[in-house]
Amino acid sequence: MGRIALTGTASLLGGRLLRRLAETKGAARLLVVDVAAPPAALEVRHRAVDLTEPAADQRLLDVFREEEVEEVLHFAFYAGPRRDAAHAHELESIGTLAVLAAAAASGVARVVMRSFTAVYGARGQNPAFLTEDRPLQPDPALGWVRDKLEAEQHAASFARRYPDLKVAVLRFAPLLGPRVHTFYTRILDRRVVPVLMGYDPLVQMLHPDDALAAAEAAVDRAAAGAFNVVPSRPIPLLTALHLAGRIPVPVPHPVAYPAADLMWAAGVGEAPGRFCDYVRFPFVADGERARRELGFAARHASRDALMAYLDYRHPPARLSAAAAPA
Amino acid sequence: MSSRPKVVPMRRPAGAAAASSPAAVEAARRDGLLVAIARAVEAGRHGLTWENLAALWSAAYFSWHSEDVDEFGRDAKFTETIRPLLEFLYTVWWRVEPAGVENVPADGPALVVANHSGVLPWDGVMITLALRHEHPARRECRMLALDMFALLPFLAPALARTGAVRASQENGERLLRAGELVGVFPEGVKGVGKRYRDRYKLARFGRGGFVRLALRTAAPLVPCAVVGAEEIHPVIAKADWVGRPIGLPYFPITPSFPLLGPLGVVPLPTKWSIDFADPISTAAYGPEAADDPILVNRLSEQVRSVIQRMIDGRLARRRSIWFG
Repeated sequence: MGRIALTGTASLLGGRLLRRLAETKGAARLLVVDVAAPPAALEVRHRAVDLTEPAADQRLLDVFREEEVEEVLHFAFYAGPRRDAAHAHELESIGTLAVLAAAAASGVARVVMRSFTAVYGARGQNPAFLTEDRPLQPDPALGWVRDKLEAEQHAASFARRYPDLKVAVLRFAPLLGPRVHTFYTRILDRRVVPVLMGYDPLVQMLHPDDALAAAEAAVDRAAAGAFNVVPSRPIPLLTALHLAGRIPVPVPHPVAYPAADLMWAAGVGEAPGRFCDYVRFPFVADGERARRELGFAARHASRDALMAYLDYRHPPARLSAAAAPA
Repeated sequence: MSSRPKVVPMRRPAGAAAASSPAAVEAARRDGLLVAIARAVEAGRHGLTWENLAALWSAAYFSWHSEDVDEFGRDAKFTETIRPLLEFLYTVWWRVEPAGVENVPADGPALVVANHSGVLPWDGVMITLALRHEHPARRECRMLALDMFALLPFLAPALARTGAVRASQENGERLLRAGELVGVFPEGVKGVGKRYRDRYKLARFGRGGFVRLALRTAAPLVPCAVVGAEEIHPVIAKADWVGRPIGLPYFPITPSFPLLGPLGVVPLPTKWSIDFADPISTAAYGPEAADDPILVNRLSEQVRSVIQRMIDGRLARRRSIWFG
């Protein structure tokens, strides 16, 4: 059996997957391909490759050949929009191209790639549950999503051109739970959270334990194609904010888009204005295919993920509240 | 985030309660709205904090919303909260007279097909109430809402909370496969926005999407005729040039709207009847029949003529718009 190479192990999900696989598959079978070294205690082989450098595909090809890599778990993606859009594009779109090219050329059997349900695009016309065969139509002006879309398009075209290469794309719903730090949590951590006036879409929040279980289920399996990895049930955005004890402030959407853009440009916002679509319209995905073909069913609903995050974020207060007599 | 509260919450020993927001909210939800108000008033004497404000806000919200919704967003508590208003409209305002409710199957999937009218989707709400209250099995009908309603700010979340779902093949199929009773208005925008002079003349039934939905899921079609709804907002003229820029397919002008402003959305108290006809079974054709445009058209026309016949029958017997 060949090695399993992992990218993006410095991310929450990639790091947890690395630790889990070190337990279940043995550290000897793993190889970290990342600019950042894995924790020394894991005793996992590490080859430093920068996916954004021009000759990354050649470097990767050498590494995959020398280490006899059989499967690549590609998790090097940013969870939120970034101001250095050019760097994000190099890493996510071009970096994925390099990984796929090296995998195809070195005879890697399987690639498991991280993606996001956001690639469907948030649209009013979306069905209540998006299935994997739905065309991906995100807002092309939103670089954060466009890079993921391009990565998926590379994956699809490689899967077409190289039938021996099995590419599984896991479209994760936004993560929320212990140790999650993304732009979602930075927005959620505020006492006062702006929302769009008159809109209250259903949102999905995935517990990291479920995300890990799905990623693990996809390893060492000949599954190919896209899989939605989603919580068992969505929750309305306003219900989530009220459960978290935040104060939602409704902003009319004609004001919200330019205001968010201004704040983003000024360096105080968390996301560009077009992102408002994602709190205006639903992008709820259906997890049926992952259940059928990966045997993965989420154990947590969106509400559980939110509660787990709040427990993690405010532990002392909750402990003392529980200890206080009712 | 670790700001110490300046207030000791009520009924808590000093020092024990470092009430940062989620804990405060949790407590407030357990105690309910009155206690949250009392706590905010108490806090006001010492300086109101964000925590107390958020707890009050949250308790107020959850006093009429539930903490969990079903997968399409229906909120049981919200539905319960607005029930008195809807029942007032049903029994007092429009004095709805249902007939043939027992034609709706007692269990399993079925597609109720009705004529659409009345500018706002009140007919859907009343059909839901008729089935919930008068059907022996107390069936809950999930209405498929037009895009213009399902995407309209303010109305859209309220519709979703009361159980309506945006009309699309995927959503309808998912509901029917789950064994739900689903209601559709094949006339769509053409029906709900029709002028007063065109009342009770059924518009074209789309392209038969509802028939394909029923064929694919083997759900029986139940024709339903709503009489009375077409007069609640008599549309004299349409100012589409006002509606288009704000994303509405039409902008109705009625005797009271927009002349009387917000009063214009109060519907007229006409007398309503809702008739359900015998179900039309689709199981015999098989799911492949959904791709047969001739069959789809024939069934669509059959349902349309049944509804038109029921409407014409009611209209012939009706002596007054207001008293039936």
